[in-house]
This record gives sequence, structure tokens and C-alpha cells, in this order.
Amino acid sequence: MSAVPSEMARRRAGLRARLTPWLLMAPALLIAVAFFGLPIAFMARMSFNEHIDQRFYVPGFTFESYAAMLTDQTFRGALLTTMRLAFVSSIVTVVVGYAFAMLVWLKPKRWRLAFIALALCPLLISEISIIFGWWMFFPKNGLLSYALVSSGLITDKVSLMYTEFAAFVGLTYVTLPFCFFILLSIFDGIDKKVLEASADLGAGPLRTFREVLLPLTKGGIAAAFAQSFIWAVGTYATPSALGPDTLWTIGYLIQEQMLGKHNWPRAAAFSIVLTIGVALVMVIVRTLTSKRTALNG
Amino acid sequence: MADTSSILPARRASAIPVPRARKDAIVLRVLTLAFTVFIIAYIAIPVLVTLAMSFNDASAIRFPIKVWSLKWYGDFFGSPQWVDALESSIIIALGTTAISTISGVLAAWAFERFTFAFKPLVYLLIMLPLFIPGVVLGLGVAMAFGNVSLLGFNVYGSRALVMLAHSLWAMPLVFMLMEATFRTVDHRIVEASYDLGGKPLRTFFEIVLPSVSTGIISSALFAFVVSLNEFVMALFLTTRDTQTLPVLMWLSLRSAGTPRLAVASVILAAAVFVSLSLIMVWYIRQLRKT
Repeated sequence: MSAVPSEMARRRAGLRARLTPWLLMAPALLIAVAFFGLPIAFMARMSFNEHIDQRFYVPGFTFESYAAMLTDQTFRGALLTTMRLAFVSSIVTVVVGYAFAMLVWLKPKRWRLAFIALALCPLLISEISIIFGWWMFFPKNGLLSYALVSSGLITDKVSLMYTEFAAFVGLTYVTLPFCFFILLSIFDGIDKKVLEASADLGAGPLRTFREVLLPLTKGGIAAAFAQSFIWAVGTYATPSALGPDTLWTIGYLIQEQMLGKHNWPRAAAFSIVLTIGVALVMVIVRTLTSKRTALNG
Repeated sequence: MADTSSILPARRASAIPVPRARKDAIVLRVLTLAFTVFIIAYIAIPVLVTLAMSFNDASAIRFPIKVWSLKWYGDFFGSPQWVDALESSIIIALGTTAISTISGVLAAWAFERFTFAFKPLVYLLIMLPLFIPGVVLGLGVAMAFGNVSLLGFNVYGSRALVMLAHSLWAMPLVFMLMEATFRTVDHRIVEASYDLGGKPLRTFFEIVLPSVSTGIISSALFAFVVSLNEFVMALFLTTRDTQTLPVLMWLSLRSAGTPRLAVASVILAAAVFVSLSLIMVWYIRQLRKT
């Protein structure tokens, strides 16, 4: 064999080795670029367009849609409402999810599978079904009111429907499994002997929790909070269906502007702000927790 | 002097703990029990309420339920609109599963086996959509593809577009799970296959894929469930003809809730749990084989 063909063959093999990963990734990259990158770029451009005379949009370049978020009372309110809802519901979710994960971690192994199946339920059920479930539980003719009246605890029917409480109950339900599984994986990495060691040294349960468990699970708490916050910020169906009419979140406004008011530039501007907010939370958590978590892989 | 002062409080502390520790234990046990009851009730309530309401005979949603019947199940399957929506949902979910499983598995294998330029950037691009709210993704795809038609075929409102949009969530999930699964593959087996003259393609299909079949099946299930349950993206991307079941449920909840919605919830959940149990059966049989 002469030197030239073998040189060529080697070069061809090298080229193939370099091309193979890109060929393998081609379908995934195509989806990500065409249906994520392109639409985001399209929306970014759209957010600077003008909205005149009830037309979807008029090409132009204006910051009007962004300015409206700061000047318009409704939009500024929605921004704050979304932040508040996501913040409070994430704290509640992390507390409940933490206790739940700790319970599963501490309980004997034979309970574990049953608890995990329980935690999977909200994840496997559609958000719309969850909304509807609570929608039948809270109102005047709902199960809660019926149970309270027939047990004699109260005399008049009550309705907790269309309250912020109902919105929080629904939001927490949707985000709980994410928190639970993140925290359970953190707990599973802790040797249970540290609890014995702490007790042997004379620490009570509260002190063991504060000085041993909490520091060991800090990273998990941050990741769980971020995951739940990101989810809660973008979820608009649950708060708008269960909460009061005035509970307008950014997600709800995006849908309203797009499908109701046909104001495309404004819907796009809100989406861009929401995306930037989510990205910021991810970056903050990534810098705060240097350890590997579900978020930063 | 210094010794006694350090010993004394320690002695006192060791004298007290016996009753205090017992009290602690009781308080802890009561708290644990209370929390267990709370969490089970919390997760079970919407499920049980829905299940009960689906067997209601009355047409209003009102407790207590006086007469039980299968009336609303008959109503659901007798309504072309609802059956079509269910069919649409299943077609879209199957399509999403196929698209995201194939693309996710291939990409994960590329990440596991090869080194290439811009690896972190590509990783970010593939994973990022998973963290973007559905309303943003739905809106973006709707705006970008709103007026596009390919060879006379209207892209907007088509099931294919919804499948691809759902893949934005399903594909990163598959990718993430498969990346972790591929890491468990013994590299020596792959090398051995190469040494025996196995081409990369043949090695991938005959050696690697069978050894990660459980991972592939589980991630495909995740993709299926994500797509079947999703309704915000679908709300932006479907027309009356391609409406999915969750979208139809959302729209009718906005007008008026009837027990038919409870039936729809039960059927949607049943579809998920049937596919879950099918996979469990497959998994157990797989375990028996080895």
C-alpha cells in the first residue's frame, strides 16, 4: 500500500470521528434551535414592535412594551404578584418537601416505596386535573365545606375558593414533587450515623437538626427552592383558576395579551422578561451552590 | 478547681436527659404522625375528590354525592368532541415520545462517547428549554410558526407542531436521564466490540442499546407523560380540530365545571397509570430473564 491512500484514509477517519458527535446530536440540536432558539429570537424582535389599531403588531422599534411594565399599574402589579406568589409558595414547598423527604429518609425501608409512589402522584397527574380536584374541594358546595358542616365544626357553609390560600395550596401541590425528590437525593447521601453521633454527644433533636442536618442539606435546599421558584413563576393556570380574580400573574397576562387583546409585542415583552428572570434565578443558584445539583448537572 | 467546674455541668446534664429525652421522643413521634397524616391527606384529596365526583349522577358539582352512576362516563364516550380530544392527546403524546426519545438518546450518546468543541454550550442549549415556562415556549412557537405553511400544509395548528413543542420539555428529560444511564455502561464491552471488528453503528445498536433498555423505556415513559398532561403550550398551538384533552378541560373549566371534567381527569390519569404498569410488567420480566 502506498503512503498516500493510507494518509487519506486516516484523514477521512479523523474527519468521520469529528463529524460523528455532531451527526448524533443533529436531531436534538435541530429541535433546540428551530423550536427554541428561533422563537426566542423572534419574540425578542417582536417585543420592540408597535401595536396600533388592534392589529397584531406593526413593525417598528419602540421600548413602549417594556416601559408599560413599569408605568402601567396593572402590569407592575402583576410583576409583583408573580414574585410574591412564587416566593411564598416556594418557601412553603421547601418546608413541606423538606419534612417529607426527611420523613422518608428516617422511616424504615419498607415504607419507602409507598411514600415515593405518593410523591409521584402530583407529578404524574396533569396540572389541569389537580386544579379541578381542588376546584371541587374548596367552594361552598365542595367537600371541605360539607365535611366541616357535617362534623359539626361549623354551622354555615364556607368557601375558600378564589382566595389566595387556595392558590397557594394548588401551587405548592404542583411544585412539591420536584422539591421532594431533590431533597431526598440529598438526604440519601447523608450517613444516618451522624444522628447517633450527635445524640451520643448530648444534643437534642432540635439541636441535631440545626447544627448537623441543616448544614449538610444547605445545597439541596437552595436547589429545591430555585426549582420550585422557577416552576411557580411560570405557572399561571393554577393561581388564575383557584385564586381571586385580581390575582394576575405575568403568565396570565401573557396569555391575555396574546389570545384576548391580540397585542403581540406586549405578550412577547412579558415573555422575554419572564425568561430573563428564570435565567437569573438559575445563574444565582449556580453561583451560590458550587456542588453538583439537579439544576447545574 | 478548673476541672470540677467543667465536670459539674456535664454531670448535671447527664442527670436530666432521661426524662427530657423521653419527652422529646414522644413529641417527635406525635409530630411525625401528624405530618404523615397531613402529607397523605394533602396529596390524596384532589385525587379522591375527582374519583368520587366522576361517579356522580347529578349534573352539578356538589357534595354530598347522593346517587352514584356511570352516567358521565357514558356521556364522555358518547361525545365526539371529547373522544376526539382524547385521541388527539394520545397521538401527540406518542409522537412526542418518538421524537424526543430518538433525539435525546442519540445526543446523550454523543455526550458520553465523544469530545467536541463547544460541549458546555451545546449542553446548555439542549437543557435550557426544560426550565422555560410553558407559556413562553408556547407563545414563541406560535408567533414564529403562526403563518408558516410547508408545501401547502399548514404548520400552525398541526399535531406535528405540538409534538415538536412538547419535545422541548421531553427531549431534555430523556437526554438528562440517558446521560446518567450511559455513564453506567461498561466501556470495556464497547472497546471489546470494536476490537472484534464491530462497526460503531453496529456496536451502538447491538451492544450499547440493549444494555440501557431500561433507561430508554423509562425516559420514553417520562416523555409520554409530560406530553399527555401538558396544556399551556397546546393551548397556544392547537385549533378546534387538534385540541388535546387537557386543553379542552381547561377551556370548559373556564366556562362551567361539570362531572364530565372529573371523568376526563380520571381517564387522563388512567392513561398514565396504564402505561406505567405496562412498563412495570416489562421491567419485572426483564429482571427475571437475567
